[in-house]
Amino acid sequence: MSEHASATGTSAIGGTEPGVSRSLPSLLGFIAVVGAALALVPLWTGDSRVLMGVAVLGLTFACYTIGFNVIFGSTGQLFLCVGALAGIGGYGAVILADTVGLPIIAGILLATLAAGLTGGLLSFVAVRRSLGVIFTGIVTLIFSLTFEALLLGLGELTGGENGFLIKSGADSFAREQIPPYYLMLTLVLIFLLAHGLLRRSFIGWAFRALRDDEVAAALAGVDIARYRVFAAFIGSAMLGLAGATYAFTEGRISPTTFEFATIDVVAMVMLAFGGIGTLFGPIAGAVTFTIVDEVLIEIGQLRHVAYGALIIALFLWMRRGLLPTAAELWTKNRRNEWKK
Amino acid sequence: MIASILDGIVLGFQFGLLGAGLTLVYGMGGVLNLAYGQMGVIAAITASLAMDAGASVLPAVGLGLIAGGLLGLLLDRTILRPVYRLRDEARVLLSLLLTLGVAFIVDGFLNWRYPLKALNLFISGGAIEILEVPMRRGSLLASAITLVIMALLFVFFRYTILGQAVRSVIEDEEGARLVGIDPNRMMRLILVLSGVLAALVAITRSMVIPVDVQAGFPITVFALIVAVVGGLGSVPGALLAGLILGIVNSIAASTIGTFMSLVILLAAAAVTILIRPSGILGVAE
Repeated sequence: MSEHASATGTSAIGGTEPGVSRSLPSLLGFIAVVGAALALVPLWTGDSRVLMGVAVLGLTFACYTIGFNVIFGSTGQLFLCVGALAGIGGYGAVILADTVGLPIIAGILLATLAAGLTGGLLSFVAVRRSLGVIFTGIVTLIFSLTFEALLLGLGELTGGENGFLIKSGADSFAREQIPPYYLMLTLVLIFLLAHGLLRRSFIGWAFRALRDDEVAAALAGVDIARYRVFAAFIGSAMLGLAGATYAFTEGRISPTTFEFATIDVVAMVMLAFGGIGTLFGPIAGAVTFTIVDEVLIEIGQLRHVAYGALIIALFLWMRRGLLPTAAELWTKNRRNEWKK
Repeated sequence: MIASILDGIVLGFQFGLLGAGLTLVYGMGGVLNLAYGQMGVIAAITASLAMDAGASVLPAVGLGLIAGGLLGLLLDRTILRPVYRLRDEARVLLSLLLTLGVAFIVDGFLNWRYPLKALNLFISGGAIEILEVPMRRGSLLASAITLVIMALLFVFFRYTILGQAVRSVIEDEEGARLVGIDPNRMMRLILVLSGVLAALVAITRSMVIPVDVQAGFPITVFALIVAVVGGLGSVPGALLAGLILGIVNSIAASTIGTFMSLVILLAAAAVTILIRPSGILGVAE
C-alpha cells in the first residue's frame, strides 16, 4: 500500500465500495432507498424544534461531506477550506439578498457560483504550481484562516463576531420547523445523484485513474489539471450551495457557522468514517456522527476527547472507512460460506 | 514606527523558535505535528498548576518544560509508530491526521478540567527605554531567553556529535544509517526537543500575555506559517521567517488593526508558498 501511496497520498487512505452504482437503475435505486429512509426521520423528531435543528444540521453536513469528497476523495486534493467555501455561499447569498436586495434564489445561485469559482481558482493555482497534497492542504488552510479573519475584519458588511439576523425569507417556509429538513434532504439527494452520475461518466473514470496513479494517468492521456480544477469547481459549488441554503433555514449567520474547527474537522471525520472516495460513505458518516454527537451532548467538552480518540482509532485501524471495510467483510464472509 | 518594529522583533524571535520546533520534526521524519501548540499549552498549564500548589516560578517552569518534552516522547512512542512505517506524502498525511486527533484530546480534556486556567508570568517593574521606546520588562526578558535558546540550538547542531548526527539524518536517512546512526533514536530526541521548544515559547509568551487553554490551535497555526515561509525542514529559514513575519505583523497591527494584520500575515505566507514553495531558505527539491 505504501509504495503507491506516494502518488497522491489519498489512495493509502481511501477505498471503493464494490458493487454499488454499477448500473443506472441500481444507482437510482440506492439513492431512492437512502432518500426514503431519511425522509422518515421527522416521524421521530418532528415534534421537537431542537431535534429538527440537529437533523437539518446533520443533512447539511452530509452535503458538506459530499462536496469535500468530490474534491478530496475523487482527485486527491486536500481542501482544508470546506467551511470557508460554504461561508462564501452563506455570507454571499445573505449579503446579496439582504444588503443588495436581490431575490433570494438569485443570491443563492450567484453565491454558489462564487464558491465554485473560488474553489476552482484555488485548485488551478495548486495544479499550476504543482503543490502536493500537503502544500495544497496548507494553502487552503491559510485561505480558511484568511476568510475567518476577513469576516471579523469587515464588520460593517458581515456583522463581525456576532454576525446578523437574516431578514430575507423571514416568513417563508424555510424558517418553519419541518420544511427545512426536506429542503436539505432534496439537496443531499441531488448531490448524491450528481456525484453518482459523475462517477459513471468518463469524468469519473479519469478521476479514478488520476487518483490511483497520477503519472500513469497522465501517460494514458488524462488531462490531470483539467479534471482536478473541474472536481474542485463542482465540489466547491456544492459546498457554497449547501452553506447558502443552510444560512436561510437558520435565519442567522455568524463566523462560527462556517468555522474551520467546527466544519472542516467534522466533515473530514465523517468522510473518513464513511469511506473516502465512496458514493454513500458521506451519508453513512454524517448520519452516524449526528447521532453520536447528540448522544454525547451530555458530556460537554469531553466530546472533543471522544472525537480525538475516534479520529486516531479510525486512521489507525479502519483507514479505508466504514463502507469499504464492511463491503470487504461481506464479500469475505460470502466467499467463506460458499467454500463450506 | 520604531516601537512597532521593536515589538515585531520581540514577537519575531518567538515566532522563529516556534517555527524551528515544528520544522525540525518535519525535516527529520516527514511528520507534520498538529498537536504542536498543545505541547506548549500543556507545559503552560502544568507550570500554572505547580505554582497553584505552592511551587516557586523556576521549578514550576522546569516542570512545564518536562511536561512538553514528555508529550513529545509519548507521541513518538505511541501513535507515531505506525506513521514511521509509511513513506513520503502518505506519512505526512497520516501524521497530520493522527496528531490532529491528539490535539482534540488535549484541548477537550483541558477545556473540561481547567476551563479558566492560564499561565501568567508578568514581570513587575517599570518599562526600560530602548532607542527611546519604552519596552516592557517581560518582553525584554522573553527575548533574552529566546536568544539564548537560539544560540544553544546553534551550538548543539553545529558543534556537538549528537547535533551533527541529527543533521546527518535530515540530510540523508539511509546514509546516516550506514554510518551507524539510528534514525529512530534521533527522531525521538527531536520530538522531545520540539516539545521543549513549544513549552519554552508558551512560557516566555506568558511573560507578555496570558497563555490559556485555548491557545493551542493558534500556536500551531503560527508555527506552521513560519515553518512554511521559512521552508519546511530549514531551521535557519524558520528563524529568519519568524523575524520577518513578526515585524510585518506588528507594523500591520499598529496601522490597520489586528484582524487585517492577520490577513496580511496569511497573505504573505500564501504568496511565499506560491512563488517559492520550498520557502525563503529551503532547498528546492
